[in-house]
Amino acid sequence: MTCELTLRDVRSVARIVNLAHRFNCRTTHIQAAVGESTTSASFAFDGPAIALTRLRAQIDRILEYETVA
Amino acid sequence: MNGAQAVVAALEREGVETIFGYPGGAIMPLYDALYEHPVRHILVRHEAAAAFAASGYARTSGRVGVCCATSGPGATNLVTGLLDAMMDSVPIVAITGQVRTELMGTDGFQEADVCAITQAVTKRNVLVSSADAIAPAIAEAFALARSGRPGPVLIDIPNDVLKAAVTDVTSPPAKPFARRGAGPHVSDAAVRDAVARIRSARRPVAIIGGGVRADSVELYRMFVALLGLPHTATINALGAAAPGDPSYLGMLGMHGLKAANKAVQRADLLIALGMRFDDRVTGKPERFARDASVIHADIDATEFGKIVSADVALHGRLDDTLQALIDELSRGHVPRFDDWAAEARLLGGALPSDHVEAHVLSATDVLDRLFAALPPDAIVTTDVGQHQMWAAQRAHPAHPRNFATSAGLGAMGFGFPAAIGAKFAHPAAPVFTIVGDGGFQMCLPELATLRRYDVPVKIVLIDNHNLGMVRQWQELFFSERYSATNLADNPDFVAIARAYGIEAYRLESPADADHLIERFIASRGPALLHCACHPTENVWPMIPAGMSVDDLMEARG
Ligand SMILES: Cc1ncc(C[n+]2csc(CCOP(=O)(O)OP(=O)(O)O)c2C)c(N)n1
Repeated sequence: MTCELTLRDVRSVARIVNLAHRFNCRTTHIQAAVGESTTSASFAFDGPAIALTRLRAQIDRILEYETVA
Repeated sequence: MNGAQAVVAALEREGVETIFGYPGGAIMPLYDALYEHPVRHILVRHEAAAAFAASGYARTSGRVGVCCATSGPGATNLVTGLLDAMMDSVPIVAITGQVRTELMGTDGFQEADVCAITQAVTKRNVLVSSADAIAPAIAEAFALARSGRPGPVLIDIPNDVLKAAVTDVTSPPAKPFARRGAGPHVSDAAVRDAVARIRSARRPVAIIGGGVRADSVELYRMFVALLGLPHTATINALGAAAPGDPSYLGMLGMHGLKAANKAVQRADLLIALGMRFDDRVTGKPERFARDASVIHADIDATEFGKIVSADVALHGRLDDTLQALIDELSRGHVPRFDDWAAEARLLGGALPSDHVEAHVLSATDVLDRLFAALPPDAIVTTDVGQHQMWAAQRAHPAHPRNFATSAGLGAMGFGFPAAIGAKFAHPAAPVFTIVGDGGFQMCLPELATLRRYDVPVKIVLIDNHNLGMVRQWQELFFSERYSATNLADNPDFVAIARAYGIEAYRLESPADADHLIERFIASRGPALLHCACHPTENVWPMIPAGMSVDDLMEARG
């Protein structure tokens, strides 16, 4: 699974890597560029399909919680 | 103005009247700013209680609960309460003192990387690096705690930042991040699809969850009444049904009511509203409501398909979703499900309970009598364990905000401090907490908080001389090997309460139950009702973990 993300908080990169570990997924690629107010990050993960689905949902939640609706 | 005063000013701007906390070195400037300040600080006796009290305050009022603690051990003691708030979507703002900036990274006295520790238990946390950044950080924390799916936010402020002068005193501070409009708008097409499914359903059942606390109670009651729909609630939504609603089947899940569990299992359509299919609700998901298609409404899109796949996903605020469903239904044929609701009710029957000798106090009997005697506006909190489940089965709160329990996390030690928080949010309401002898001992010192502020919280202690819920599982699933669950050497709780200056009643015989309960409820100040209950009464019904309603047990053996 690959994701291209725009993160408000660079710390979310670490959080996402920790989550991948928790779900028994392997982080095979990380690249992040830190800008003025956002971080552009790309990730690739390997792992069981169900774990990747859960990881993606948790990443979406992290993105959601970075902003106020 | 210094940073600490900026914190208090920002709290005032958010309308905060009460905060719960415990002082210490790093956060002393904040305590200095709170000295003789109108924002009222309630001194608890352990920081865990500060977080739980803030949660009780928030859960029962809908407002943001606030707690504070010092660096290191103070902050780490908040962690369980933050996770509890995360699991049950409770808006909390926690403020922690941090060691001086120059000490960070030196393993300084009481230094802890609180932002790293709490990253997984908060929606967001922030380490504030300047006094000018305090006001916007607090404004954002409150907005974020309330917004979308509510939850906890933590602000960590180094001691030197609390002491530094604020140079930019422009107020109120602008929110420093992009707003994205008014949140998700529930899709019209999805609403039409949902209504078409409701119109063609034969055995629909609604399940309401904690999302109902987001100002959706009236609309939910209108929705189910419009259809005569049988409906059930998760433990976080008890009180969503209108009092006396005959189509309400009671709580769902592992210790839910039989009619509720059976109706869901027979349903051909589930209308799941603001609930997240917790494993304590579904048991084995593959065997849960096998014949039903699913309409799932939630503010959090990541809930769709997480455990149960949705045929229709309604992403949005629950009040908007319910209004849209009602409007769309009203534009055409409005089906009625009264016959099915009547049939569903008959799937249950009286709550089963163990036989207890006539002269011995039974916890279920005491709670039946207590709930019959409670005033209608009572707010009840519970701790975690058998007493929690017995209470949840029997409680008929007037509103979901009248019942607070640590549901998703199941954190013992929650109930009593949460009741203290609830009482500060509702000074005029009668507030009760139902606790077990295990969980009560996790927060006993809060009796001092009750005494100091003369908070008339009423504590119902269901003392079965056991960590009852674990004992029940050992009896049923671990060959009666009772490892570390016997509390036969409990202290004299009545003497302890009295030592703290709290009035206490000893209930030992069923014959005294009604009149002691009556005196206890009528007592003016804080009070403890110690109920010396049978040690091995179990919670029934029970769907064992990972099983389905087909495996529902109603008695031993
Ligand atoms: C902080 C915490 N530790 C452990 C548990 C596991 N646990 C769940 S219920 C329970 C027993 C609770 O005993 P008690 O408070 O006496 O209540 P009872 O079940 O007897 O009503 C335990 C130990 C928990 N939920 N929370």
